[in-house]
Amino acid sequence: MRKYTPKDNVQGKSYYTDRFWVAPRVPRMEVEEGSHFANVLKALGKKAKETYIEIGTLVIHIDAKKNLEIIKILKEKCGYTQCSEQSAVDYLANDGEFELFYQLLNITEAKRIRVVCRLKKGAAIESITPLFKSANFAEREMFDMFGIYVNNHPFLKRILMPDDWHGHPLLKTYPLHGDEAASWYEVDKIFGKEYRDVIGPENRDPSRIDRYDTKRFSRVGYEVPFGADISEGEKENPIEYSETILVDYTKDSGKQLDERR
Amino acid sequence: MQQPNKLTPFFENLNFERDDNTMVINFGPQHPSAHGQLRLVLELEGEQVVKAYPDIGYLHRGIEKMAENMTYNEFLPTTDRLDYIASTSNNYAYALAVEKLLGIEAPRRAQVIRTMLLELNRIISHLFFIATHALDVGAMSVFLYAFREREFAMDLMEDYCGARLTHSAVRIGGVPLDLPSGWVEKLASFCSKVEYELEHTYNALLQENRIWKMRLENVGVISAEEALSWGCTGPMLRGSGVNWDIRKEEPYELYSELDFDIPVSDRCDSYGRYRLYMEEMGQSVRILRQLIPMYSKTEPQLMAHAPQYISAPKEEIMTQNYALMQHFVLVTQGMRPPKGEVYVPTESPKGELGFYIKSEGEPYAYRLKCRAPSFFHTGLLQEILVGTYIADVVTIIGTTNIVFGEVDR
Amino acid sequence: MAQHQVNYASAAGLPIALTSVDKLVNWGRSNSLWPLTYGLACCAIEMMASGASRYDFDRMGTIFRASPRQADVMILAGTLSKKHSEFARRLYDQMTEPKWVISMGSCANTGGMFNTYATVQGVDRIIPVDIYLPGCAPRPETLQYALMMLQKKIRRESANMNNNTKNNLRLV
Repeated sequence: MRKYTPKDNVQGKSYYTDRFWVAPRVPRMEVEEGSHFANVLKALGKKAKETYIEIGTLVIHIDAKKNLEIIKILKEKCGYTQCSEQSAVDYLANDGEFELFYQLLNITEAKRIRVVCRLKKGAAIESITPLFKSANFAEREMFDMFGIYVNNHPFLKRILMPDDWHGHPLLKTYPLHGDEAASWYEVDKIFGKEYRDVIGPENRDPSRIDRYDTKRFSRVGYEVPFGADISEGEKENPIEYSETILVDYTKDSGKQLDERR
Repeated sequence: MQQPNKLTPFFENLNFERDDNTMVINFGPQHPSAHGQLRLVLELEGEQVVKAYPDIGYLHRGIEKMAENMTYNEFLPTTDRLDYIASTSNNYAYALAVEKLLGIEAPRRAQVIRTMLLELNRIISHLFFIATHALDVGAMSVFLYAFREREFAMDLMEDYCGARLTHSAVRIGGVPLDLPSGWVEKLASFCSKVEYELEHTYNALLQENRIWKMRLENVGVISAEEALSWGCTGPMLRGSGVNWDIRKEEPYELYSELDFDIPVSDRCDSYGRYRLYMEEMGQSVRILRQLIPMYSKTEPQLMAHAPQYISAPKEEIMTQNYALMQHFVLVTQGMRPPKGEVYVPTESPKGELGFYIKSEGEPYAYRLKCRAPSFFHTGLLQEILVGTYIADVVTIIGTTNIVFGEVDR
Repeated sequence: MAQHQVNYASAAGLPIALTSVDKLVNWGRSNSLWPLTYGLACCAIEMMASGASRYDFDRMGTIFRASPRQADVMILAGTLSKKHSEFARRLYDQMTEPKWVISMGSCANTGGMFNTYATVQGVDRIIPVDIYLPGCAPRPETLQYALMMLQKKIRRESANMNNNTKNNLRLV
């Protein structure tokens, strides 16, 4: 029977997992009273849905529709003046949602928070470029990699992949080696589709050896001229060491330097 | 003979010939002073840039996708190729993020070695910055001098890990090797060499050089608010008068025990940033000097003891059955960190290099996001290039110190 | 009376050298190879290092040129992404004949460790390559060696480039 591979997540998977193995969770801490983070939560009030501290960072889950509003409060009232990073995580296979995160930094307090929201597939998120200009590139990258549309973005266009690319590479449904369009992209673009047969498919197997390809491979002890036809079999050659190139390995005249000159 | 082919120009609907006075020029993606594969589309009015549009992605290699398809240890050598000028800082940032996720800490000797390598990489990277920046602006000899010193630093790296460029010298949980004998002495002599050359070569060549000052002063001015808003970090932010260095503010590794200063410049221009780079090299030398005596006081343990995640030392694997079994499982299946997410920032030579890792308890990261400083510095170009002269464009690209391995990932 | 006749057969040797056109042309071609600065990724740093002070490419007659029109050799140093591939081909087409290509580093040779959707799996899919230089990243010495091998290859070739077929690209 052929092994079942789920189509909604084609990323690398462990080939064996113990049946009784339960993954532990990184400890989540409550926000202490009177700390800086407690003041942040006070400023947000009811808008923060779920909050905890995970490895030194305050994580705030919010409603995706209120992202601009909440991040504005964080920027203006709580001093989070830099958005260091912003991207998404694909949970389409499990929940049909994306998880978006904004990593904010407060320079005066040296504190970081992560604002997390969930976005349904096909929904668009509001751009935070009016608050942080760094979101310009970050949101474009998110659009490019996940296909998440951003409302009111000044210039929403693919950034890393070319404009005529098919698919969004960081989706879990997108294979690491790319789809059909990706594998022929450069050939189609440069030479045209009719050259696909001439150039041939990509070799994605790094350990592939073609026994009869004398242009790329040679057998030690069975060397033949470059490009020779060996379908009839080849003669055994005694191994010889070159005397023409720099070092003659047959003599022990080599001198090893003890230290660098 | 060249075969006729179907290569058609592809200008992304750019209208190069305009009716008004503006001219559109295309810069890159292969330009010797673009620091890699940056493509800039500039709209010029006379010699002034009225609109700049950085186009990136020409070195996109799918590193984040690779992270989802590789076990944690497998992915580590790939991080070398992010910021390939200072590989160890990437290895370290990644290893630190995974260590935080696992909740382990490297032993003391590993920490000393890591900090040494990080600072050595900072010097390598800054020397490279000086070299290329000066080359772009037109000072060819600085390039040759800076590469001379850089080669000495590369020799040290090579003596330690065997590689010149792609080190992989930091592992999750520690470092793979102890320092070779005599390395510390070589490092000490390298420190004095760099210090001497900084004073007598680079400062003498550049600092008061009239042409250098004319090309750099008041070029690429960024205010503090703008720098923060555009996500600038590292020397780009400190060059705008914001005193923010992650080594001081959120200390990792041994930086809390070390005595060093953070140079800040409020000139906000390229010249101020150039001075920062020079000062930082001096501070790195100072840190390295403090680390040398610390090294001899440490125990020889190099990898953290966490049998669930990290293989035991070779000797134990060869002698003890349980260690061998653990090693086998870790090699064939990979470590399984706990569920959770972590974002760990580090101060790479270019700015804040952070790794966001989302783990679902599998040996493969569910999502790995690399927060690369250069990515945001490239975004900044569309704002600071506007209004400058075309001759300054190259200076500004040079001063942002972008490396396309980490911009495009 | 001054001796106005040169004694060609004297011990100082003949001022005339007899050679074939092939050898003469190839002597010229192989000893002033001007590569195009085509740095794409990590290998570009090693390429710069080989042009800089310690490894000093200039002494081999190798001077990096920024323009494809002035270059003879394209050293493709680094990962070629699919987005960039058409530019690589265009630059190759812009170079004047005769031209050679060194593919530097594993990524340029085969895609290397970046076996992903975004990288070209070997630049020989789009341009013919003369020398494949393995390594990730190859050291400057290796690049020098590759260049010396290219010089050897050129010296072996015919001066008429039409007679030299590039065997390694199925396309040409």
